[in-house]
Amino acid sequence: MYYIGVDIGGTFTDCVLVDSSGRHVTAKALSTKAHPVDGVRAALTRLAEEIGSDLSTMLADTSRFSHGTTIGTNAVLERRGARVGLITTAGHGDALAMMRGRGRVAGRPIEEVFQVHGTSLPAPLIVPGAVLELHERVDRTGAVVVALDPERARQEIGEFVRGHELDAVAVTLLWSFVNPAHERLVADLVAGVAPQVYVSSSVDVSPRLGEYERMVATVINGYVGPACSRYLGDLADSLREDGLATPLLVMQSNGGVLPAAVAPATSLGTIDSGPAGGLTGVASLARTYGHDRVVATDMGGTSFDIGLVVDGQPVMAEENIIAQYTYRLPHLDVRTVACGGGTLARHDPVTGAIRVGPESAGSEPGPACYGRGGAEPTVTDADVVLGLIRPKAFLDGRMPLDADAARAAVGGLAERLGLSVEETAAGIVNVNNMRAATLIRQQTIERGQDPRDFVLYAYGGAGPVHAFGFAAEIGVRDVIVPLGDGASTLSAYGIASGDVVRHVEHETAILAPFDDDTLVAAVEAAADAARAALAEANAQGDVTVTVVALMRFQEQLVNSLEIPVPLPAGARAGQRLLEEFHAEYQRRYGAGGTGLFGAPEVFAMRAKAAIASDVPPVGGSSDSARGDGTATDTTEVYWPTQHEWLTSTVFDGHAFAEAGQVRGPALVELAHTTIAVPPKATLSTGSRGEFRLRLTTDSTAPSMEGTR
Amino acid sequence: MTATTEIVWDGVQRGYIPGEQLNIAAGLSLHERVTDTVDPVTFEVIRYSLLNTNIEHGRTLQRLCVSPITMLTRDFQPSITLQNGDLVFLGPYLQYFSNCQSLTIKWILENRSENPGIEPGDMFLSNDPYVGSPHQPDAVVAAPVFVGDELFCWVANVLNHADVGGCDMGSFCTSAEDMFTDPPALPPIKIVSKGRVQADVEQLFLRQSRLPTNVHMDLRAAISANTVAAEKITALIDRYGADAVKTVMTRVLDAGEQTFVERLRQIPDGQWSHRIFAEGKGTGDDGVYAYQLTVRKQGERLFVDNAGTDPQIGSINATYASFIGAFLCALTASMTADLAGAYGGVYRRVSFDPVPGTLSCADFPAAVSPAGAYTIETMISLSGAVIAKMLSCASPELQRLAIGPANPAFYALLTGGEQNGRPFIAPNVNNMIGGLSATPHSDGVDFGGHFWIPEGEAGNVEELELLWPMLFLYRRAMPVRADGAGRYRGGRGFVEASIPWSVPGLAVALYIDESFPRLVGPFGGNPGTVGRFRLKRGSDVLDRFRCGEVPQDFDALRGEPESVQAKGPMLMAGAEDMWEWTGANGAGYGDPLTRDPAAVLRDVAAGDLDAPTALRVYGVVLAPDGTAVDEKATRQARTAATAERLATATRPSGKVPTVEADTAIRPIGGELGVVEHNGAPAFFASVTGRALLGPVTGNFKDHCAVLERPTSEVGPEYVSPPGRAGDRMRYREYLCPVTGLRIDSEIVRAGEDTLLGVQLAVW
Repeated sequence: MYYIGVDIGGTFTDCVLVDSSGRHVTAKALSTKAHPVDGVRAALTRLAEEIGSDLSTMLADTSRFSHGTTIGTNAVLERRGARVGLITTAGHGDALAMMRGRGRVAGRPIEEVFQVHGTSLPAPLIVPGAVLELHERVDRTGAVVVALDPERARQEIGEFVRGHELDAVAVTLLWSFVNPAHERLVADLVAGVAPQVYVSSSVDVSPRLGEYERMVATVINGYVGPACSRYLGDLADSLREDGLATPLLVMQSNGGVLPAAVAPATSLGTIDSGPAGGLTGVASLARTYGHDRVVATDMGGTSFDIGLVVDGQPVMAEENIIAQYTYRLPHLDVRTVACGGGTLARHDPVTGAIRVGPESAGSEPGPACYGRGGAEPTVTDADVVLGLIRPKAFLDGRMPLDADAARAAVGGLAERLGLSVEETAAGIVNVNNMRAATLIRQQTIERGQDPRDFVLYAYGGAGPVHAFGFAAEIGVRDVIVPLGDGASTLSAYGIASGDVVRHVEHETAILAPFDDDTLVAAVEAAADAARAALAEANAQGDVTVTVVALMRFQEQLVNSLEIPVPLPAGARAGQRLLEEFHAEYQRRYGAGGTGLFGAPEVFAMRAKAAIASDVPPVGGSSDSARGDGTATDTTEVYWPTQHEWLTSTVFDGHAFAEAGQVRGPALVELAHTTIAVPPKATLSTGSRGEFRLRLTTDSTAPSMEGTR
Repeated sequence: MTATTEIVWDGVQRGYIPGEQLNIAAGLSLHERVTDTVDPVTFEVIRYSLLNTNIEHGRTLQRLCVSPITMLTRDFQPSITLQNGDLVFLGPYLQYFSNCQSLTIKWILENRSENPGIEPGDMFLSNDPYVGSPHQPDAVVAAPVFVGDELFCWVANVLNHADVGGCDMGSFCTSAEDMFTDPPALPPIKIVSKGRVQADVEQLFLRQSRLPTNVHMDLRAAISANTVAAEKITALIDRYGADAVKTVMTRVLDAGEQTFVERLRQIPDGQWSHRIFAEGKGTGDDGVYAYQLTVRKQGERLFVDNAGTDPQIGSINATYASFIGAFLCALTASMTADLAGAYGGVYRRVSFDPVPGTLSCADFPAAVSPAGAYTIETMISLSGAVIAKMLSCASPELQRLAIGPANPAFYALLTGGEQNGRPFIAPNVNNMIGGLSATPHSDGVDFGGHFWIPEGEAGNVEELELLWPMLFLYRRAMPVRADGAGRYRGGRGFVEASIPWSVPGLAVALYIDESFPRLVGPFGGNPGTVGRFRLKRGSDVLDRFRCGEVPQDFDALRGEPESVQAKGPMLMAGAEDMWEWTGANGAGYGDPLTRDPAAVLRDVAAGDLDAPTALRVYGVVLAPDGTAVDEKATRQARTAATAERLATATRPSGKVPTVEADTAIRPIGGELGVVEHNGAPAFFASVTGRALLGPVTGNFKDHCAVLERPTSEVGPEYVSPPGRAGDRMRYREYLCPVTGLRIDSEIVRAGEDTLLGVQLAVW
């Protein structure tokens, strides 16, 4: 039986197939944006060819089929969503437009927050003016303050939907997560008067404190819901016709998958599911490779994404921002900075120093060495100058690079800096790596983790080229290039390996000292709700439920610590939770005598119900071709940490698979990337197709700076 | 002691101004060595690390603090300074803390280096506004970082504590008469000695507070955050060497200075002023008081003074620290935001010469604690207006940097009382929603917040209702009306109403009810909204609830409106009393009659502006179905409006001289331009009417037609409650004598002198 994962990216649609023995096979086809189903079928057809089969036979033999879509993300970014309107409590309809006064800067890089010039609010998601305020009110305890008049509401809703020609309605009433009766009634009324309209209700989408973020979640869900439904319906139909007999599963930003029939109800979860797929893939591989703590890094053309796996679990976050709109949904915490291969370097005339990023050459014109008119030096141009990327070997030789253009671009900067061309190129790479390392350090240290306790996974086109540098900068010794040649389809692999997951979050407001009965009741309520939500998904298999308490000191609104609750939560659960909270608080923020202070609070319970994917652990590479085990070539590389030219051996993937191990300086050129092995470090193949780069203590104390 | 002791700027009797050379105890050695061997790459690695150290410092504070003001408004600021206190990096948080840590550190160096001494592992706490804090709730914690026995640099933070004592709950003491009823001001004291928190000193600070637990948590957060930041700098020094790190710090300062100087070179020498009035010196007063600010640009320096500001009085004062903090904050946001907080070099090029004993530069023992809620906002607004005028006269590239005046409406409403047997103080900071003023080339951003707290955010209604016993009936966007109108209109603000909930009542401790608009838009833009606070007693809110209605209209409610003063005493609100608070629309830019009619139509189409108001304010006539502009009728309406203005205005005597047709007029702002002679500005002129308005060394207003009316007559938006100060205020328009278009305007007390707003090439 086969397990298939399909990931639609901006350029390529990637497929991964894993069979019962753990063999994995990949295929790619160009994405077809107007009709994405076509691209998916094309990629699947290639995948079938790879295993010597045809599409229908392969699909008929497929026991699990998962898919990641960017339809929702694109609909928001390109403002091509449904005609959605908002229904809310009288007096609060403007909350969405006012954005708490932070909409102008929300989600912008911190260095840019100082700039007032040229900033503005994002374009609205709802049809302009399509806000209906209903006379009803519930207070913080859930008590009804003003009763909802269903007759009056029914009439107003009918006029509202017709008047604005709405395809979708988002319902977010104040305090509905405490008492959902009014909101449920309104949702039913909408369904009654306008059955064709897509209804998005905040208690289903994001039942959390804070009406603005809840409105955003509910509105975005309504905005992308109709298109997601349509597309997933079409794809499911098409696959069924091609012979797929299992339900289509859809990737969510929380790292799990859901059957397509359920997924439209939480279309919001498909937003940012792509990066979540990568981190899910890493977490799944890390279990196989035996790594408990992983920094997952994806360095591409313009951005650098990182996520963490701690104690085997991907780290989650609540707050997410898309197009300056902030919402709360438990999702895998993947953060981004603008430092990738296309990141631009320049001379700061005032300090005389080098600056790298955040501006990027993008894909057009791209780095100077692409020969498409780019003249400013990028990180990739620096790689070419240093010899880390060989022009003739880029992308398996399919895209020869213009080394002279790279040298000219870097040379221009070198002149302004008063450095040699090599030293300038080394500087570009080192500063870019330092920026990447800073993001990693911030993510780990913010959580009280020491990055030196982690193994670093490097993927993305620019990842394995630079991993030796940013790994060393944070003190990591072991770098994994997962799946070997398949690392470019890691996201698709993650999609294939994602468990079926539902998260449920309940606001609780339980203050210390905790009463065990109250606590246990809250834990069980959340766990039961998660189980029930998963049951809706109609998936087969053993259900595992886990619960974390979201805690902080009362009134510490911006803080949130996730403390796992062992199940079943019985006697002394409260005491244990309190002790772990204090321990975690001290671990993160130091021993400041936290016991002196205010009352800790469990402000929410998050329960996760999951059915494991049962995807077999990935085995050795599918690649049966073997080289002769000796180096393909040698080349001169100016190593940016050594600041000298060294003759370095070069392998292609096949040759290296045969050789099994190499001591740096060396380069291993794969189809989509190059693994740079600095002097004294060693690279070896793992038992399951991965590459393992081990940096020496020597190379973990690098000199990032230029020559003095 | 003689009777004629000279008052000095010592941070005791008068705000502290450090001298060029600090007077530091000989026993304390400062690390000052730099090296010329830091290559461009190492430089960037160190710079980026320092920048991030400071940003991470801010994030730690935000996560660990419990004061809602700190968390939501980002009313805090971490800094890194040189060994001598000069600012290296400021974070992207509250910007009027620009120089507060720097001043505090310099004072510590001059006054504490001998006794009790400054040693490794020490930290100092201060909330003294005469030293460096803007007002007493803003407590600075400063930590020296040592390399061996040399003081290498400082890390410091400042944050707004929930309550630090004083006569009014929440420590914005509107009713304080002087520093002896204002919250206690602690000059810098050693809170951490050799790594150990001094329990006695800590308790001294906590003992003053109504909320000692909250203050304790926030104080410890400040100490921990400093510790972490200091460790990061030490690690950087270990890796790259103290001299290299110091080299980067000083070169960052030099670079900021150079950037600023290059921009100053694009501004002609000149002098620009602005004036804003405040209402009520404190509880129970309805006097009107002037704050004035003048910037003179000469060569490669700015000179800033406050001449024309009224003498210190009541509780509406601010110290020197606030005066310069407010100005530097508006200056860097406008002119050097691209330096991303590396502002210390900019500060070197600004000289302050304030008149002491005034509202904006008070002497001890003037009360200053409410400054954070309105006086500093007034001064930021003044600064923004003056800087916008200055930039208008500069190169086109610099003209675009003007961001206009800040919205001076107060941003926090303080209520308090008791729930579940525990006291609470509820700072409602919802004016973080803001509304930016219009700029010379664009509308102000609706709900755009404030440029001086870029990330500040309002609480969700649900969050506030969870924390405190009140129910919010509405929080809605302000409509587009006369308030904030202009060629470019100000960003929209909000209006919000609440009642006590689940308690018999609560106290409203800090509120402001203005009776006239305070902020005039540059170059003839309309004033922003009048910031109102209203309270209705014994309303029928609860009856309406029972009838299925959430009341949405303050005026339609039954009940007795409380006769509220500008800065009244604490009010007790009972279960059926409802209060409403208006956050303001930002000010407009340029004459509303020159606004593009298509932009007016856009606001009408969005439902934010109604057609009659479009005609009244903008002279725009819409087609009967409201979907298009009636161009011809609009032209007629605008011509009629300007003609009416000229008919009522006092016009200059004699024939109006005009600029010859073949002579170019370079636009400055709105309808004001200059005619150049031999490449230098020579005469003011109106852009459309081409009227000559005198030499650029004089006051162009003397050559305008002047129309002065009671402010209340300008529009229903500006009507003052009867008998209030607003009845005595005038709106004065300076019109082009040819076209009747507004060139500039002022809000003034009756009989006030004309302000000299723009003057060029005086030297």
